[in-house]
Amino acid sequence: MVKQAVATVARVTGRLLARVLPVMLGVVVAVFFLLRLVPGDPARMILGERATPESIAALQEQLGLNLPLWQQFWDFLTQLVTQFDTGDSLVTGTSSRLLIAERAPVSLGIVVFAVVLAILIAVPLAVAAARNRDGWADHVVRILPTVGMGMPLFWIGLLLIIVFAVQLHWFPVGGVGSGPGEPLRSLFLPALAVALGLAPPLIRSLRAQLIEVFEADFVTTFRAARVPERRILGRHVLRNAVLPTLTLLSVSTAYLIGGTLVVEKVFGINGLGTLLFQSIGSRDFPVVQGVALYCAILVVIVTTVAGALAALLDPRLRTTKGGRS
Amino acid sequence: MTHLPAPRRRRFALAASVLAAALLLSGCASGTDPAPSGDAAKPVSGGTLTFGRVAAVNNLDLNQQITANNAFAIDKIFEPLVSFDENGKIIPWLADYTVSDDGLSYVFKLRDGLKFSNGKAVTPKDVDFSLSRHLEVEGPLPLSAPIESIAETGEHEVTITLSEKYTPFLSELAGFSNGIFPADFGGKSEKEFFKNPIGTGPFVVDKWDPNGDISFVRNTHYWQKGKPYLDGLVYKFIADDTQLQQQLAAGQIDAIDTVPAANAAAVDSAANTVLSKTESWSTEQVFFNTQRKEFADEHVRRAIAHALDRKGITAATSFDTAEVANVLLPPSILYSANDEKGIALSYDISAAKKELAASAFPNGFTITLLLASGNSQRAQIAQIVQESLAKIGITVKIEQLDIAVFRERFFAYDFDFMLNSGQSDAPDPNGFITFQADPDGFSKSYWTHYSNDEVTKLMLEGRTTPDGPEREAIYLKIQQILADQVPYIPLFFPSNLKATTDKVHDFVVLPNGSVRFQDAWLDAKK
Repeated sequence: MVKQAVATVARVTGRLLARVLPVMLGVVVAVFFLLRLVPGDPARMILGERATPESIAALQEQLGLNLPLWQQFWDFLTQLVTQFDTGDSLVTGTSSRLLIAERAPVSLGIVVFAVVLAILIAVPLAVAAARNRDGWADHVVRILPTVGMGMPLFWIGLLLIIVFAVQLHWFPVGGVGSGPGEPLRSLFLPALAVALGLAPPLIRSLRAQLIEVFEADFVTTFRAARVPERRILGRHVLRNAVLPTLTLLSVSTAYLIGGTLVVEKVFGINGLGTLLFQSIGSRDFPVVQGVALYCAILVVIVTTVAGALAALLDPRLRTTKGGRS
Repeated sequence: MTHLPAPRRRRFALAASVLAAALLLSGCASGTDPAPSGDAAKPVSGGTLTFGRVAAVNNLDLNQQITANNAFAIDKIFEPLVSFDENGKIIPWLADYTVSDDGLSYVFKLRDGLKFSNGKAVTPKDVDFSLSRHLEVEGPLPLSAPIESIAETGEHEVTITLSEKYTPFLSELAGFSNGIFPADFGGKSEKEFFKNPIGTGPFVVDKWDPNGDISFVRNTHYWQKGKPYLDGLVYKFIADDTQLQQQLAAGQIDAIDTVPAANAAAVDSAANTVLSKTESWSTEQVFFNTQRKEFADEHVRRAIAHALDRKGITAATSFDTAEVANVLLPPSILYSANDEKGIALSYDISAAKKELAASAFPNGFTITLLLASGNSQRAQIAQIVQESLAKIGITVKIEQLDIAVFRERFFAYDFDFMLNSGQSDAPDPNGFITFQADPDGFSKSYWTHYSNDEVTKLMLEGRTTPDGPEREAIYLKIQQILADQVPYIPLFFPSNLKATTDKVHDFVVLPNGSVRFQDAWLDAKK
């Protein structure tokens, strides 16, 4: 088992690199040139409408925006490879890597918190539905997510703010408070908003899997052997049902990141999403490129690691090319 | 134009502001507060005020900036020789001044004991260095006055000499870009200095994230004794204006920089929030690209002006927070003719149809209206314009673009007509008129390419004529011509809409949209 685990980790690392590098290159090229295709000059955004053409030209030169595009790309690529930095923000002059590093924790906090909440919501509901198949609980669980999925994320966010922050005062309206426990309390509602979007597909997938496993021969055998129902569920059914859900969760990483960026605006949280929107608005190319690149890397890492986890949980998935390992 | 008397309201405002200025100057020593908002309670010191704003402060170089996000942080740190009060009246600030009879030399006498936030005395050398750097940099808000020399003429005295008369000089000098800072940047490099700047303003930068919040602490050497009352001031960056308002309502922050017009009434009527509505120096307008063949035709422009119900547009889109515009210059700007009768073309559909019939396009045409996205008020105005012009046979297509693309388009004169606003930085009419009616300026009459020799001539005269009835006549004439020829249609004068919780007192909003925080104080009991 240990040997297998080590082998899996080694293979996963190799697979990660093989996947991350091409994705990075693709993202770098695509984002760099797509951004340049969009009209809008950073110098003009920085100086405002009433800036003279001379001051705009001077700033463009200072920012290196007057250089040929291929040279700008080459400079960007060299800096990325040698310093692993996507360059300095055109607006503030600070390193985009630093800006991202400062804001990543709060955004990642929402992502992780949202996953935890989504699981806490999805698992009991799916179990309840699966065990009472076609009962009232099942119907409620099947209908509610459909309603939830129809609501846009920012709308859910606003509702949560109005009910739990403005009316009930249970949570702050927005921002990330300082002090012990405060960030956790501040991030609860945004994470819940994202989780409410993420939970429905999880519930649906888990419910279907659970029903399938509940009806499997080995469960019938366990039942015949009078193994307690709770033990069957915890030890065997959930473990078997969780795999496809895990895969689904990893595929949802992109949704999770996207959702987090949206709720940041609704909740006035100055994380990666706010940084991204701000930078797109001001055409702060290096920062936009940086956020896009790091998000892409994150997605690749999560999906790869989730694949590996699935392999650890289910020996059948370890069969890759060349037969059993 | 024969009816010249200045509107009574303005005279009153002038008198009130002179009084306020006198109180301010005399009151500093005695410790009484001018209490412009009429608070009866006595100010108390202490506390930190958190001010929510939708844009972060990302640059503090006073000579390189113009946008409000930075300007209204810069003016807390740096102060100019003269300033203006909440009615736009020019008042002595760091210095008292006298002007020579020929209007060419201005002598500024620095206040006694004036110090920078680091405790060092402010000298004429610092003034010379600061203004010279601004002249050199030019920047987006340049000193356009024909300055010949800046001389240190005494221990506390600076004399600025102009090569020719330039009446708007003092008003220009009152801009935040002419703030005074230590000579040679206090021995630091430019870059280092503007990361942690030293000025004479009420506040000093404490912590600063250029993509997030900035916090200030009180300048203990501030020249207005006892002020600022606040120990600290935090500009909190909150990107969304709904969120801004909700945090205020929940008491999480103390004041907010912007209230959308649609929400003003709600903020005003809420128990624990106070709406601040004051006159601004901006004008919401429809701008025509007069290079387009349709809009090169004056009849077409007049037809559109007749077809738009400015009163209705103002009421529907500003929720009674704005004043209908009859002329280009807002009432808070010197010599505004907004109260004069019969200047603007009236709302009159049959007159509009007649004008269109007299044009080269009697059967109408199809044209595109450009505006920036993200401004729901302008989106609404665009729809009203579309509906109104349909009545006279002009089909309007609406094109909404992200602000960066929008700017790109009109900077390239690549638009038919657009919605935008004009904004002044000073109470003098010259700035507004120059930017919107000078065909040789870089904005080519605010990208309309409008050119009129008489307006140009009057504009140049207006700069050199001393303040008084003669100068007023010049600007009334300009406003009359612009209202007749309609290179742009002024729609309304928006108010500065801000709000605070009820524990904030003396929240003084200036007409440029900035807040004078040295006067503000917090009620500790609330």
